[in-house]
Amino acid sequence: MRPDATELGDARRRVEQLLTELPGPGSDAEQLSFNDPWELRAFALAVAAYHRGLYDWSEFQLALIGAIRRWEGEPEREPWGYYERWLEALETVLSGSGVLPGTELDGRTAEVMATPRTTNHHEAHREPVAIDPART
Amino acid sequence: MSQPMNSPSPQATLPRSQAEIAARVKALESIMIEKGLMTTEAVDRFAEIYENEVGPQLGAQVVAKAWTDPEFKKRLLEDGTKACAELGFGGLQGEDMVVVENTDTVHNAIVCTLCSCYPWPVLGLPPNWYKQPAYRSRMVREPRKVLREDFGYDVSDSVEIRIWDSSSEMRYWVLPKRPEGTDGMSEKELAALVTRDSMIGVGPTSRP
Repeated sequence: MRPDATELGDARRRVEQLLTELPGPGSDAEQLSFNDPWELRAFALAVAAYHRGLYDWSEFQLALIGAIRRWEGEPEREPWGYYERWLEALETVLSGSGVLPGTELDGRTAEVMATPRTTNHHEAHREPVAIDPART
Repeated sequence: MSQPMNSPSPQATLPRSQAEIAARVKALESIMIEKGLMTTEAVDRFAEIYENEVGPQLGAQVVAKAWTDPEFKKRLLEDGTKACAELGFGGLQGEDMVVVENTDTVHNAIVCTLCSCYPWPVLGLPPNWYKQPAYRSRMVREPRKVLREDFGYDVSDSVEIRIWDSSSEMRYWVLPKRPEGTDGMSEKELAALVTRDSMIGVGPTSRP
């Protein structure tokens, strides 16, 4: 048993309390699932930012509801993705509190995207990258 | 549905590729950390709470099935992605999974030379140390020593160690050896013995 298991359990209950007031899968924590690492990261980032006092949870809630409504109202919608809307809501509340001005995020995103493209990273490496031979 | 990466995206509803949106989340986190508004540890902490929703218990089920079903094991080693899909495990970052088998003479371990490519659908989120440059560079240079000194895991000198580099096109993970003394155990009992570290190749399976 990990030493901080109780603390983690408490933190989880606190987070789930927050989720009960949200639309979407968040309203039932049992249904909470992540299909990709960025979804969990975006989820954790929003909860952590709230705990840092960067916004009220009710603001985030409203922003998320707004993001979902906006998606519903789009004539040509992208495929549904809960955490796409979640990220949009997070960007909205952070912009609203002045933490995230203008196009800073677009610029940084382009930098992140450009990094692996300058390497051979998306080639498959079919042989071991290192071998430590048997010694006996 | 993917956007050219340099196109400005003022509207959050513009269709974005998964790669772009993942980059956006990473960018957002890094900006907040730089501004002193957030720490990686704080985000890790909340991610950790839900880590088990996507964690390595899925990979453990695959391993346990391979230990008990030779035909499945054969399919798993031939095409990891396809075999995992039989159990309903797959998705983004699980394309082109290659499973490498530990034997009496070969021990395998995985790294990602550039970032933290990792077989998410079966192992969940990579642990922090996996993402550290130190792990990658030392593991490639002196794997036997790193396993012993950093992970307390002694690989016998009679065993060759192979290090596999996961990239975004091909993600490796390790099929550990079935532990001794587990004859007659059910798949479920066996799955409980499979550790995350054993599927990365930096630790043993649990003892029965």
